[in-house]
Amino acid sequence: MKVGLFVTCLVDLMRPNIGFCALRLLESAGCEVVVPADQTCCGQPGYNSGDRKAAQALARKVIEEFDACEYVVVPSGSCSGMIRAHYPELLAEFPDLRAKAEALAGKTYELTDFLQNMVRLDRVPGKFSGTVTYHDSCSGLREMGVKSQPRALLAKVAGLSVREMQQPEQCCGFGGTFAVKYGDISSRIADLKCEDVLSTGADALVLGDLGCMLNIEGRLRRRGDNNTRVLHVAEVLAGELPQD
Amino acid sequence: MSARENILKRIRAANGKTAPASVQEREAVVARLRAHARGPLPSMNWDPLPRFKERCIVMMSTVHQIGSRAQLPQAIASYLRENSLPARGVCWPEFADLDWSAAGLEFQSRPSNGDDKVGVTGTYCAIAENGTLMLLSGENTHATTSLLPETHIAVVPASRVVRAMEDGWDLLRREHGDLPRQVNFVSGPSRTADIEMTLVMGVHGPYRVHVVVISD
Amino acid sequence: MQITSQDFKRVSSLKLTDPRLQKAMGNAKGKLVVTRARSILELDNFEDIREAAARIRDFGLQHMDVLLEEWERNATAAGTIVHWVESPQDVNAKVIEIARNHGVRKIIKSKSMLGEETNLNHALEDAGLDVRETDLGEYIIQQSGETPSHIIAPAVHKSKEDVADLFAEKHGRRRLTDIAALTHEAREILRPHFLDADMGISGANFIVAETGSTMIVTNEGNGRMTTTMPRVHVAITGIEKIIPTLEDVSMILRLLTRSATGQSISNYLSFTTGPKRDADKDGPGEFHVIIVDAGRTRILGSEMREALRCIRCGACMNHCPVYQNIGGHAYGWVYPGPIGSILTPSFIGLENAIDLPNAATLCNQCGVVCPVKIPLPDLMRKLREKQVERGLRPWTERLGLRMWAWAATRPAIYSLLTRIGARIGKIAGGSEGLLHKLPPGGAGWTSGRDFPAPKGKTFRELYARRPVAGKGAKS
Repeated sequence: MKVGLFVTCLVDLMRPNIGFCALRLLESAGCEVVVPADQTCCGQPGYNSGDRKAAQALARKVIEEFDACEYVVVPSGSCSGMIRAHYPELLAEFPDLRAKAEALAGKTYELTDFLQNMVRLDRVPGKFSGTVTYHDSCSGLREMGVKSQPRALLAKVAGLSVREMQQPEQCCGFGGTFAVKYGDISSRIADLKCEDVLSTGADALVLGDLGCMLNIEGRLRRRGDNNTRVLHVAEVLAGELPQD
Repeated sequence: MSARENILKRIRAANGKTAPASVQEREAVVARLRAHARGPLPSMNWDPLPRFKERCIVMMSTVHQIGSRAQLPQAIASYLRENSLPARGVCWPEFADLDWSAAGLEFQSRPSNGDDKVGVTGTYCAIAENGTLMLLSGENTHATTSLLPETHIAVVPASRVVRAMEDGWDLLRREHGDLPRQVNFVSGPSRTADIEMTLVMGVHGPYRVHVVVISD
Repeated sequence: MQITSQDFKRVSSLKLTDPRLQKAMGNAKGKLVVTRARSILELDNFEDIREAAARIRDFGLQHMDVLLEEWERNATAAGTIVHWVESPQDVNAKVIEIARNHGVRKIIKSKSMLGEETNLNHALEDAGLDVRETDLGEYIIQQSGETPSHIIAPAVHKSKEDVADLFAEKHGRRRLTDIAALTHEAREILRPHFLDADMGISGANFIVAETGSTMIVTNEGNGRMTTTMPRVHVAITGIEKIIPTLEDVSMILRLLTRSATGQSISNYLSFTTGPKRDADKDGPGEFHVIIVDAGRTRILGSEMREALRCIRCGACMNHCPVYQNIGGHAYGWVYPGPIGSILTPSFIGLENAIDLPNAATLCNQCGVVCPVKIPLPDLMRKLREKQVERGLRPWTERLGLRMWAWAATRPAIYSLLTRIGARIGKIAGGSEGLLHKLPPGGAGWTSGRDFPAPKGKTFRELYARRPVAGKGAKS
């Protein structure tokens, strides 16, 4: 399978390791992975802020960059959701682009969904002794149908057990620019998520979206919790956890 | 132009239509109304009468089944006695002929005036799906009898238990044609959870609903 | 109702630190979310019914004029007196006119959100009429001089202690604290008013074109009292409440009661068609229905059109992480939560409710539970687009986004900027790898959270440098 990897702007800036883990997982599954060198951002910050033009400019670029790929895989529910669920509407007023947007949408996958359902990965390199709890990011869950896939893959990690939160599907309060514009509401929602995470007693929180990760980790640390690890599912599956 | 004209015109404009509704559109809409097709219904793999009784209880009514109409006064007398309730009240005219006094009860056949503690009504039909009584207002089916008294006793012939509200409407169309002033679907005693989301039974409507099913 | 939507930020911040509100919201959330989920399981074809409900609502919007005319024809045939009014003020004026024509002094009211839109109670009181709310939650807030904080449970923000204090003050009786006792006290106090009111005013959950009926969904019995006891009954309804047939209503009701309160069915479903018939011994002698536009036709013709499918169940706000934590008053008008974030700007003007469409994470917890599939986050996003188009966003935000797009479409520049940013960020994060304060613009984050620091190098630069053999490079 010829796969284009879209690492996402947050991974690029904040956590390159996640990008390399995604790459490693896809290659170990036998995919031929292409990483378009000029990729930057999917346009979601502009889109969700109402700046359609800004978002369209970025969408055009992404469409062009990934045009030749058979599949596009993204280690993020929100960025893959942006492409699959929103690009067609975003470019609706440009008929020639709309068709391309739909084509791209039809071949774009969130990482765990791709590994579980398309590649049907049956073993993963990662090992982890301990319990983890998994947070379902809103766009991953509600736009990309990601729910069972990460759990099925985590079940293949030697030594790892999953303990569910009370409300794994409850929003963490990130919401992109919402987190800064309505910071106190956002922090409160994050705080409730932290309590849910801590109530599981898990060693680590695992998730598939870096926005949620930064938000929840930020609140955990401010609360004084320096023990609960916050990991991207790609890192756990690839067995390449960040050095602490 | 009147407010009515203005509003209708704005509705049409908002729907991207410049001319008034065409004959075809009207006919299509009216045809849909006449057809009154049912939407998707949930599975109802149960027998109506047991389901009705079970759901009445879930909705916090009490239920009792008797063999014949003649047994009503005694059945009601027992219920009132067991619950320390007054032995008098009002009833719909259709029950005026029953031998209330033999059971030690005094029931007047008139609408309720607000002082009565017990009201006995029949039902137009009963809806098994949720344990619901379908009551029609009317000359001899006073609306106040099931509303003002603290205790509402509803008499339901077993043959009038239907599965769903949709069946109730079909029955009503067949037997009456037009709707009466008010159709009330009553499912148990009045209740509220407006204070701290805590359920309290008995608000403005009756505190209790007792359903007597008559096998027929 | 006084509009305070422009005060959203200040009020929502206050609500976050209000212990009584927080306790009340915590209590409500658990009950409403869990009971709804349980009751939905009773419908094995919930998604089919939901799809059918959305289609019926769209049909109603699409053919609203024809359906309303059919409704009117049937209502009039049953003896209903129908009035059409355009503005909120017209609604109040019409009700007062009907009251005056009938020598009405005392009015009882069952819940009407439309009445809240038009400030009906105040208008009636100013006209010298005695108006009593009879729904317990509405009665409580009428007594306390507040506005509803939820469309189904208007007094959800009040504790039983609040209500105990209020009743002791207003009823002049011994202070009770038991919830059942407080409820029964309200019953006793309101009872005489049901029996001697001249006029009853109700809203309408739906109006049925097939039969010319209006219907209400209640649990307390006040709705039946209001529509049966007084000699004049007035129902006020928005134009968008029109449903084609009785079967359509029956189907939608299965979703409404479960979505609202987790009930399989509401205690009382009351369908009113005309005034008392000649032979009836009870019921109002006159039944008036006021059909109201008040901004709805404008919404119908706008991109917010799907919001008119709303059946006022409240599920969206019950499931909204923002609403769950701040309650309804912060939204500043009649409709809170996700639907409020769309209806409020649509009714009162986008410029008067700038925060509402933005104070959302777009998580879509609302959209997945909406019984009529309103695409709530999409509509909020459209309102955000409208704000940008109309220049209602701060220039700093506009500039920031444009700069972001400018840089992100220029890979070489972007690469340079991000490499610099990653290094600076890492240094600022120190040994902990955490930033406790972000530059201006980021204070909203760091007031309540740390910001994990970048790792110092970007993926793109590391990928460009990795050995061709294909091994991943560690950061």
